Amino acid sequence: MLQRGTRRKMAATAAAATLALTAAACGGDDSSGSDDGGAVTIWMSLDATVVEGLQKQIDIAAKEAGIEVKIERVDGIDKLIKTKIQAGDTPDIALLPQPGVVASVVELGAAFPLDDVLDTASLEETMVAGALDAGKVDDELYGLLVSMNVKSLIFYPKKAFEEAGYAPPESLDELTELADQIKSDGGTPWCLTMESGDATGWVATDWMEDLVMRYGGVDAYNDWVTHDLPFTDPVVKEAAAYFEDVALTEGNVLGGQRSITATPFTEAAKPMFDEGKPGCWLLKQGSFFTGPDFLPEDVYANLDDELGVTAFPPVEAGGENPVMGGGDLAVLMNDSEDAKTAMNLLATADIGNDAAPVSSFLSPHTDFDTSLYPNETSKSIAQVAYDSTAFLFDGSDSMPAEVGAGSFWKEMTAWLNGDEDIDTALQNIDDSWPSS
Amino acid sequence: MLEKTLTALITVLAGIGAALLLYWVLNKISELLPEKYEERLKPWFYILPAYLAIAIFVIYPAVQTFIYSFKTKVGFPAETWTGLDNYSNLLSSDAFRQTLLNTLLWILFVPVTVVILGLLVALLADRLATRGENAVKTLIFMPMAISMVGAATVWGLVYDYRPPGRPQVGILNGIVDALGGDPIAWLQENTLHFNSFLLMVMLLWMNVGFAMVLLSAAVKGVPTETLEAARIDGAGERQVYFRVVLPQIKGTIVTVFITVLIGVMKVFDIVFVMTNGNFNTNIIGNEFYLQFFNNNNQGAAAAIAVMLMLAVIPIMIYQVRTFRAEEAGR
Repeated sequence: MLQRGTRRKMAATAAAATLALTAAACGGDDSSGSDDGGAVTIWMSLDATVVEGLQKQIDIAAKEAGIEVKIERVDGIDKLIKTKIQAGDTPDIALLPQPGVVASVVELGAAFPLDDVLDTASLEETMVAGALDAGKVDDELYGLLVSMNVKSLIFYPKKAFEEAGYAPPESLDELTELADQIKSDGGTPWCLTMESGDATGWVATDWMEDLVMRYGGVDAYNDWVTHDLPFTDPVVKEAAAYFEDVALTEGNVLGGQRSITATPFTEAAKPMFDEGKPGCWLLKQGSFFTGPDFLPEDVYANLDDELGVTAFPPVEAGGENPVMGGGDLAVLMNDSEDAKTAMNLLATADIGNDAAPVSSFLSPHTDFDTSLYPNETSKSIAQVAYDSTAFLFDGSDSMPAEVGAGSFWKEMTAWLNGDEDIDTALQNIDDSWPSS
Repeated sequence: MLEKTLTALITVLAGIGAALLLYWVLNKISELLPEKYEERLKPWFYILPAYLAIAIFVIYPAVQTFIYSFKTKVGFPAETWTGLDNYSNLLSSDAFRQTLLNTLLWILFVPVTVVILGLLVALLADRLATRGENAVKTLIFMPMAISMVGAATVWGLVYDYRPPGRPQVGILNGIVDALGGDPIAWLQENTLHFNSFLLMVMLLWMNVGFAMVLLSAAVKGVPTETLEAARIDGAGERQVYFRVVLPQIKGTIVTVFITVLIGVMKVFDIVFVMTNGNFNTNIIGNEFYLQFFNNNNQGAAAAIAVMLMLAVIPIMIYQVRTFRAEEAGR
């Protein structure tokens, strides 16, 4: 997931770049949307295939509504949008990759609230639970989730898993039991690797985020992301204790402790498909891991038969079941009637009908026609989000960069490498939170 | 593409044109002066643009950095003076002290080793026939031509680690594996700063070629009469090297040593790409980058830069002095 690394880094450097010299970054496409009257322009940095699919659907819907909509694909919109706001050259609608970016656009006074633009009551019902909350800034809706990805997933080698008679766990305790069962059957339960060059650590922070939202619930998670709940809080320690149990218990991870920090994260899934018996059985990763870069060729070719996927389980079976993910939030930057109409088009489930079959696009609308997903795996992944009780964005992306892309990564890495204990690590992260 | 090429071409032409125009104008101005002053002032007119450039691009930023190092939230509305806070926060943090210790290890180990290895190769290669000498030198010089990040990719494959029982991709672990041992997580192993030394090896690999080229030229520049005279007087080969050759190339050795030393103090990319300072391999250059670009803590970054400047200045002064002494002795 190199993409993720760069995206995070972009966010991190954004402020520095804006500060240094904004004009220099502008280059490239200078066509402005707002001033050519007719067409509504939408900027996004999604994959080209997704953009194409969305454009196809939006063309159909826009014709009916009597407007013209033009989607432009731009590079690194999270950084670009700030410089463009300062230059006064903004699109009518922008799809931004993180709630933090939405908040800073709102702070710059460049966004319009959506509460009166969209039919929020019915969206609340049909969208993934909590999807609207993710786009709120100070209790007003500014960002509308258009596409999503899911991170709270566990992958397993389907054939071997079923042959051994294992069942997907329904709770964290069952997950522990499953791991113990695998161990007593002579296997190694966890595929856990996290080396990622200068971004080493994000695999571990994803684990922590998933566990904090489970042990603490949605409110505690949101407080934790804004540091209203310190890293030394018992909830965070409870989460860390579970993770420690998974990662550092003798025999739990393929290759032992040193392999966690030393093996590239890209290699995690491959041992699951060893000849004969899986080298390890369970992998917690995001939906992007179903891509061809991370799986053996023959597995990728027969994804549905080979790769099993299930939700990272809640604390209690059937209890609060939040899911962590990411996505792109549409922000209204021009309050013309046409732009508002276009915003409403983006809020329909059908908008993804052409994008989903040909890409990794997942719709945040629970009434989306899931038969359009290209395979069962994508369908199951989307279902994990549709079944969840809350959709929460990756918290480290929203933390200040010195924590979210700094000390949080580094301290988790130092702890897992055996250089310090978890209490020291959590204390160090807490100390590194900027004072104001 | 065509557009970009044209832009580049126009930029280059305009740049050169503007420079020519500038000097032409300066020349004209000096010619307007009375003849006595013209001769005296012309050199100053010619060197003025260079001094201006240095003032704008070196002195001004240095002063600015110095000022920033006493501020916090630089560039934000909340920018305020904090006195020595940036320095005391850094120096009181364990992590930063480890960073300083690592940097010190780099400084102590790398320049000396580069000079010794470079000298060794230069002296030994000098003994080979021309063709052999050229082949050896080319091979050893080659890493110099590789970018740091490219080198990091190469060395990433040398130090690569896969869990025991998996096919090993890295060369070192491939060897360990073939000998029947368990793979070693080279870059994660920080007992006695082992991993830091492994990173230093990368810089050696890149710099020995540079040292070799300069030292080899110096060795060849040693007059053969002095060697012959020493041999006739009964000096052994070792004595010839240590008593005759080395003293005559001392100036080059000092230059190489200091160039590498300053390079080591600034080293950043190797650590950034290989570990980003994790596993206790952090060094001052990487810490500066993290503070500036990752943490948006320009005050702390400036404080680090100032400390680095203070550490480099004495070395530079020493270098300039030796250089001058040598020039005078010539």
